[in-house]
Amino acid sequence: MTADGLRTDAVLRVRDLRVAYAGNQAVAVDALDVAPGEIVGVIGANGAGKSTLVNALAGWSRGAPRVAGDIALDGRRIDDRPTHERVRAGLLLVPEGRLVFSRMTVEDNLSTAFAPLAAPGRRVYAREEIYQLFPRLRERSGHLGAQLSGGERQMLGIGRALMLGPKLLLLDEPSIGLAPMLVSQVLQTMRALARSGLSILLVEQNVRAAMEVVDRLLVLERGRVTLEGPAGALRDDPRIARAYLGAHAA
Amino acid sequence: MARPSVRRAALPLVGVAVWFAPALAGGGASVYSAAVLIAILAVMAYGLDVIVSDLGEVSLGHTVFFAAGAYATALLSTRAGWGSWATLGASIAVALLFALVIGLVTLRLREFVFSLVTYAVAVVAMSLAANWSFLGGSDGVRGLPMLDLSFAGLTLTARSDRELWPYAFVLLVVAIYLVDRFRNSRLGAAAIMTHLNPRLATIGGIDPARVRLEVFLFSAPITATAGWLYAYQRAYVSADILENYFLILMLTAVILVGRRQLLGPLLATALVLVQEKFFSLGGYVDKIILGSVLVLVLAFFPQGLMGLVRPLARLARGAARRAGAAQPPATTLMEKTK
Amino acid sequence: MNLAQQLVNGIVLGHAYALVAIGWTVLLGVARLVNFGHGQLYMLGAFVTWWAVTRAGVPYGLALPLAMAVGAAFGLLMQRIMLRATFEQNLVSIMIMTLGFGYVLHGAAALVFGSTGQILETALSTRDIDLGPLWLTWQDAAIVVATVAVFLALGWTLERTRVGRLVRMVAEDPQLAQLAGIDVRRVYYGVFAFEGAAVAFAAGMVAPRTPILTSMGFEEVIMTFVVVVVGGIGSVRGSYFAGVGLGIFTALFGALVSPAYTTAAAFLMLIALLVLRPGGLSTGAAGGAH
Repeated sequence: MTADGLRTDAVLRVRDLRVAYAGNQAVAVDALDVAPGEIVGVIGANGAGKSTLVNALAGWSRGAPRVAGDIALDGRRIDDRPTHERVRAGLLLVPEGRLVFSRMTVEDNLSTAFAPLAAPGRRVYAREEIYQLFPRLRERSGHLGAQLSGGERQMLGIGRALMLGPKLLLLDEPSIGLAPMLVSQVLQTMRALARSGLSILLVEQNVRAAMEVVDRLLVLERGRVTLEGPAGALRDDPRIARAYLGAHAA
Repeated sequence: MARPSVRRAALPLVGVAVWFAPALAGGGASVYSAAVLIAILAVMAYGLDVIVSDLGEVSLGHTVFFAAGAYATALLSTRAGWGSWATLGASIAVALLFALVIGLVTLRLREFVFSLVTYAVAVVAMSLAANWSFLGGSDGVRGLPMLDLSFAGLTLTARSDRELWPYAFVLLVVAIYLVDRFRNSRLGAAAIMTHLNPRLATIGGIDPARVRLEVFLFSAPITATAGWLYAYQRAYVSADILENYFLILMLTAVILVGRRQLLGPLLATALVLVQEKFFSLGGYVDKIILGSVLVLVLAFFPQGLMGLVRPLARLARGAARRAGAAQPPATTLMEKTK
Repeated sequence: MNLAQQLVNGIVLGHAYALVAIGWTVLLGVARLVNFGHGQLYMLGAFVTWWAVTRAGVPYGLALPLAMAVGAAFGLLMQRIMLRATFEQNLVSIMIMTLGFGYVLHGAAALVFGSTGQILETALSTRDIDLGPLWLTWQDAAIVVATVAVFLALGWTLERTRVGRLVRMVAEDPQLAQLAGIDVRRVYYGVFAFEGAAVAFAAGMVAPRTPILTSMGFEEVIMTFVVVVVGGIGSVRGSYFAGVGLGIFTALFGALVSPAYTTAAAFLMLIALLVLRPGGLSTGAAGGAH
């Protein structure tokens, strides 16, 4: 830890990130760090800029916004690299809703475009390991992406990302459309992965579920971080509820 | 760039300048020949302009309308002795018929399939024109009479390109006028809406398919009339009128200067034809030049030449403003803050 | 008219159509791109082969790869210039640009190779195979064999190899493919190079059948268009069967009605299909090669 409290061994180090659409600023985050093996949660109401944030980190934004700022993965700047190069460097985004190639089988979906090099802090999962992690996928391995349920698609999306050897996994609202039990299952799997060294930035609307697994929490309001701290300390903080329901809530 | 109202007021002046241009450029036979050709091919391009710039679709078959006008004129004047006014009417009628058929067939096709189909229509038309004896086969139709629009005692004929120029000029003015009226009409507005946001247009009560058809029906006769005059100018019509050259020329005319510029197609056609007639490097090299211009403009200057002019104009204005900036406004501001 | 002979002709012709269309199948199916310079690339492939064999003394077997290399190079050049439009999926620009390219190729080829017709003769095209009352040249047989081989190879590559999987991912969802670490731009380059090489190969194989002119290429585009649309955009198997079917139709029409209007007839058939079954253009966005 340096004097200003910044983790110098951070897997992800973001400074002065600004994302603007046609002159309107959507995201303004001054500092965001994720340490190795840490799960950082980003919560906020609809339209707070959560997806915009992670999309910008992955270089995958819709509608060509202006993105400025420093993004460093494992000490190396990636903010000037195109999406696929960030992926190869180990920054994997599992976007919301767009998870599978519907016209390809599960087996084909779980294939890699390149062979990532394993390294300390970078575990590359083989297809067999993904099947062990998510046995449902093994059962459905011959089925097309279009035939999978919501939960299975989520598992598939995460599985493919894991096969690409992430150093940092960006998960955009994995709980959407999933039954509570499945949500819990997926998030617990995430926690186990983090314990084995994977860093995760988890964007969630489902605050309670997120609280169960994250180490640190950020609250995003209108593109800015308004609250930050360890999950345990913020668990019962009334400001969280207020961030969701607006200043009118008690 | 000057404000729209200023530009509109300048149009009559531009018109006068264009009218006298061939005379001012020497008045020789080749000059008038080029001028007439520029006018005819510009009118041909104006028909396509409405489809590409306003409706946003790429019709690659407009050469068929051009040919329809030319062939109708040639066949009716040589084989049935029809006069020039009658052939004009026939050209428009045939074009409308073709446009109706093609338009109805392609009504529900997606954008690129529409383009493919119109392209195919042109290719098929070319093979028909080259093989069908009714259309003169590979020899074409020869020996057209001269243009004769005389009526009510007024003699209106044209035996040479110089005499043809007034008629070509009038045709050009009429075409530009029609395009301008279209752009300011409800159909024109509907076309733009259909182009930019078909779903929104539907909610606003516009039927995109119908608008497409109507614009298509509006554009075809314009191009066909160019064909009509072209037939008289050349005095013969053959299958080479369906060659790719005309299509490439039309497309270049529409995008070179900039989209939806009223005088754009005229200016672009003039540029291309002047190069071809007076600075030619040989037929094949000219082809290479024309094709390259089309590709490079679209690849690197999608706004056309206007895309270059606007930033330069802005720079010039900014420099002028800085040079002539007066002191008093600044003092007033300072007084206010005090 | 000998029906059986016409069928043989039709089968050969059909395989030729399918082979010429294979570049478009991949281009449309994978990248949703059109190439209106297709006919001119075909012409170029034919002329490079002809020039290599007759003017430069290169054996036919080497002239083909040479033509393919030239074709691939032009494909790459085209895609390089059109890159921005490709990424923006600006189909209007792409259509017009490829049309312009074709025009430039026409002018350049006429300048280099002249405007007279030429005949490409190979050892295969001058020798016949006699099957009882039927006959075809060895070149014809080679066309059929080559087409079947190429289609099988393409199908296998797309289904079974890693490259094929990548290409299918890009075909279905280029945005998601980026997130899977695929350099989509490089795939687009590859697909355009494939189109250039494939159409050049087809030209080298098929050109010996008729005289070649630098002004040719338009009928080839129409036939390719018909094959690809009838076969289902992006469907490899569909293109093959549509091609063969079209060939048989063309041969019969040419023999029974008139040889000059076969293109027009094929096109009219397509129009009929489009009008009666507009949804018959299989998939909305390209179906992804299968």
